[in-house]
Amino acid sequence: MENATLPQTVTYTGASLLFEVLQQHGVEHVFGYPGGAIMPIYDALYDSDVNHFLCRHEQGAAFSAIGYARAAGKVGVCFATSGPGATNLITGLADALADSIPVVAITGQVPTGAMGSDAFQEIDVFGLSLACTKHSFQVSDVNDLPNVLHQAFAIALEGRQGPVLVDIPKDIQLAQIETTLEDLSQLTNKVKLPPANVGSAIALLSSAKKPILYVGGGVGMANAVDELRAFADTTGMPSVSTLKGLGAINPDDEHYLGMLGMHGTKAANLAVQECDLLVAVGARFDDRVTGKLNEFAPNAKVIHFDIDTAEINKRRAAHASILGDLKVNLPALEIPLSIEDWQSQCLAMKRDFAWRYDHPGENIFAPAVLKEISDRMPDKTCVTTDVGQHQMWAAQHMQFQDPSDFLTSGGMGTMGFGLPAAIGAQVSRPYDCIVAVTGDGSFMMNVQELSTIKRFQLPVKIVVIDNAKLGMVRQWQDLFFNGRLSETDLSDNPDFVMLASAFDIKAKQISKKSEVTDAIEEMLDHDGPYLLQVKIDAKENVWPLVPPETANDKMMESTHE
Amino acid sequence: MNNYQLTIKVDDKQVVLERILQVTRYRGFLIHGIHAEVNTGTQIGTVVLQVHSERPISLLIDQINKLIDIKEVKVDNDVTAQIVG
Repeated sequence: MENATLPQTVTYTGASLLFEVLQQHGVEHVFGYPGGAIMPIYDALYDSDVNHFLCRHEQGAAFSAIGYARAAGKVGVCFATSGPGATNLITGLADALADSIPVVAITGQVPTGAMGSDAFQEIDVFGLSLACTKHSFQVSDVNDLPNVLHQAFAIALEGRQGPVLVDIPKDIQLAQIETTLEDLSQLTNKVKLPPANVGSAIALLSSAKKPILYVGGGVGMANAVDELRAFADTTGMPSVSTLKGLGAINPDDEHYLGMLGMHGTKAANLAVQECDLLVAVGARFDDRVTGKLNEFAPNAKVIHFDIDTAEINKRRAAHASILGDLKVNLPALEIPLSIEDWQSQCLAMKRDFAWRYDHPGENIFAPAVLKEISDRMPDKTCVTTDVGQHQMWAAQHMQFQDPSDFLTSGGMGTMGFGLPAAIGAQVSRPYDCIVAVTGDGSFMMNVQELSTIKRFQLPVKIVVIDNAKLGMVRQWQDLFFNGRLSETDLSDNPDFVMLASAFDIKAKQISKKSEVTDAIEEMLDHDGPYLLQVKIDAKENVWPLVPPETANDKMMESTHE
Repeated sequence: MNNYQLTIKVDDKQVVLERILQVTRYRGFLIHGIHAEVNTGTQIGTVVLQVHSERPISLLIDQINKLIDIKEVKVDNDVTAQIVG
């Protein structure tokens, strides 16, 4: 009887204990790549129930962990060895920091005695981590390992989420430890925040004649989509979204005006510029949103909801700030407003400046293709993107029912994100359709991950919007650098259909409007992975565009008629 | 350019001083004085930083406070006066 109730003391190695603790935290899947200094961990993996997805580059492992985390709402975990393995993770960690994604990265390190001697594959990843993680640890005693790992998961998830790195020297992985696994229910780690200033915010809200709800990525991270939609419904406020906020507001909400900012809709940007109250929810007044900061929403007072104190007053002063959990704080401000005239004005702008898909000629119009994919894709489809023109077209012309259905590299803007992120998303949501929308430049940045798709037979649908250019840079060269097209030609790209076939991935190339519908249907109906190469005119631009350091109402627009 | 003195109480954890210095530089503050010591009894460290910047000190205080091992950040008002040059 006594033995049945007492926690058991067991002898572990550091490496085997790692997997016990990962499983305590509900980790089923990890993404990684082995190497010398992490071999004891990979040896312990051999006996573990944790599923490991071998990526073909550590950056792919980090982005897959991010995709997994964002699509599933869990912590993503990735492994890499010391030295180049660890440095290859860095871009992924920076991406996770910029977009507040909970990731725990485990790196092997050379043995403690060799550290600081410029040993083979030694790099001070602990030092490198300072600028690209929320927090980091280097384990110097195996007895510290359980607590370090518990802290790593707690820190990744608490408050504003983010990446945490745990660097484990090889001798610590091999060292033995006699311990009892801690009862996680006894661990508490809560962020303490001062009481929310709801009174002044209600006064601001009640007196507003032209309020706008400005929705950011924090809503999805706070798991507060229902509360946000209830707030939008009750107040009737016209709303706009950041890139990371897409999916939080119901895209069919009649008062939703679309994305704001550099490539935002004309209606969203004009409404924000005219509003008298901006209710920012989990958004941070990023420069791609505000355009010229001191001309952004020039008539607006600001109510700012956030979990991170440091975001309040960072780029735009708030008249009322509401710190803490959106799930608690949004309902506190849920009051009906009398703003019918403003609603009507915004509805008229939404109607007058609606997207147009009429486009001359036989060449494929990328916005129309992405809209058609969006219209035809099954419910709960998760779309990932890379970075560039295709990313903005996807944000503008596809619709998402939840923020976890649209994974894109927002803050860091990392090309190469989309394909490995789609792998992570597919692992976390094996029965949902996962579509990676990419460009011909971005696709080549982590193209080796086609091998991961092949190995695990992941049915990811890859849509390559191919203009044989680094399209967004080319667009800026044309608009702002006198058409001097410096190093943006990619016309010597490989044959993507043949490339896919080398990985046993079915593929098709289309280049005419008449081919679009059948190709999309074939792709979506296909059981396994599929690559659709969509050739488009190299001169197509993303419109509207607010030029740098320009107010958002002075956008450049399409000249197509 | 404004001068400030920050007194930062920290848990004596790995690289906490490096973290403070990295954040201070990245957020646009130049360091022109530093004193750091650890109370080996309490394992609490005290870091006194003299910094200057054109940016408001609240920006740096908020960012240092976000670091995991920070217990308290105080700004000494006596040295916040404008300096010439």
